Amino acid sequence: MIDFLIGLFLASLIVALFTSRLYRLLFWYSLNSLTLGLLALFIGEELDDKAMLITGIATIVIKAAGIPYLLKYLSQKFHLVRQIQPEIKVQYAIILIPAILVFTFYLSEPITHMIRSGSNDIAVSISSLFLSLLLMMEHKNVAPKIIGFLCMENALFLLGITATDGMPMLVELGIFFDLLMAIVVINLLLHKEEANQ
Amino acid sequence: MIFYLFTILILLLLAPLLLSFIKALKMYLLFKKPVSVFQGYRNFSKLMQKETVISEESSRITRVAPFLVLSPLLVTMFFLPPVVHGAFYVSFVDAFTLTGLISLSTFFLMLLGLDSASAFGGMGSSREAFIAALVEPAMVLTVFSVSMMAGDLGVGQAGVNLAMHFPKAHMASFLFAGISFFILLIAENGRIPVDNPETHLELTMVHEAMILDLTGVYLAIIETAASVKFVIFASLFASLFMPFGLQYAAPAAMLLFVLKLFIIAAAVALIEVNTAKLRLFKVPNLLGIAIVFAFLSLITFYVLGA
Repeated sequence: MIDFLIGLFLASLIVALFTSRLYRLLFWYSLNSLTLGLLALFIGEELDDKAMLITGIATIVIKAAGIPYLLKYLSQKFHLVRQIQPEIKVQYAIILIPAILVFTFYLSEPITHMIRSGSNDIAVSISSLFLSLLLMMEHKNVAPKIIGFLCMENALFLLGITATDGMPMLVELGIFFDLLMAIVVINLLLHKEEANQ
Repeated sequence: MIFYLFTILILLLLAPLLLSFIKALKMYLLFKKPVSVFQGYRNFSKLMQKETVISEESSRITRVAPFLVLSPLLVTMFFLPPVVHGAFYVSFVDAFTLTGLISLSTFFLMLLGLDSASAFGGMGSSREAFIAALVEPAMVLTVFSVSMMAGDLGVGQAGVNLAMHFPKAHMASFLFAGISFFILLIAENGRIPVDNPETHLELTMVHEAMILDLTGVYLAIIETAASVKFVIFASLFASLFMPFGLQYAAPAAMLLFVLKLFIIAAAVALIEVNTAKLRLFKVPNLLGIAIVFAFLSLITFYVLGA
């Protein structure tokens, strides 16, 4: 089941790379976060780690429902451009994405030797880090860049829960607060952008 | 042996029913009065009784091609994975053979379109060639990757292996292959994001443009071929990507398989209702996603073993 969710995580990120509509992109981000939360729940149950269950539920509530809803509200409020055509053409992206994946899968091999369990998860999370970087690179508008940033955070979170057998809950909650702060900063940024127009 | 032949017969009988089911479900979801699910059989019997008219410009190919469109698909039906435990099946046919047979049928369909000597036929054929050229590599990659996971290159044997001991460790690459194959199922059967099977609008049609000149028996054969193609893809999807229920007793396993086919048809109908048709030059993007997922499934299987 964990492998299935990992696959779904990567698949939703790859589909997000090809999306050209903002709300569809928010949906893929939400699905991405939902699989992440379910992963945290499954891994937490496997390790019998109560703190990770709380983080998983928090992930589902905040990232899969809260942040996409908030971003949709903000994009409606500030009349953001909803047609977000990727700057990198799909033909090139088709070659680029597998290249990135193969590269990172081989790149993460030395790391995976050091860790006993879940070595695949580390390779997938590092590759999704690079893919979300690509998502930030391939768009000019501000909204997809924000989604790329949030996806990158998701990838780091996946790395955290799979590589370390559960971080202290305080650290994870700290990350959540960081994320909320980032959303507030984004809100201010959009305000400023509107003022400039 | 009896189960083998019985399965093929059931699939052949179900083929028009599935397409009519998709149409009826779509109409129901769009708040129209749905057609009967038996409309496929009615169309078939009506077309069989009608007079067959052949254009003066067309050559001998038009008389031969409809049979050559149907026959590779009928041969493919004999190579599908078994539905019932203990049934006879052909184990040695691999991804290349299946794809080759299906593209042989597509090739004759394209010839048929060109042979009608109308502007529409050539246009439809060129579009079909465009789509088929993108579908084939992805299909070979996907089926190949699934057969690697199952541990046997033969598609029939792979279906049995998957159902008997499912590779739980390879769930991620299995999922990628499943996504890829579902996109191919939609593209190869000319369902909505790629081709609209219901309109005769010149800008959008692919499959309908090629068969525009056909009448009577020939049209009935081509429509049967289209429904058989759908049932082949659906049953490949059901036995390779929903591999459970093979161990039950024969009637239960058969019923479960038919139920799976209807679930796939319902999924296709839901996608058709919810998406708009893609522009023709956007179709390579969709099939590109299929190729990315097929490739991804292979490399996750090889490099990560996941």
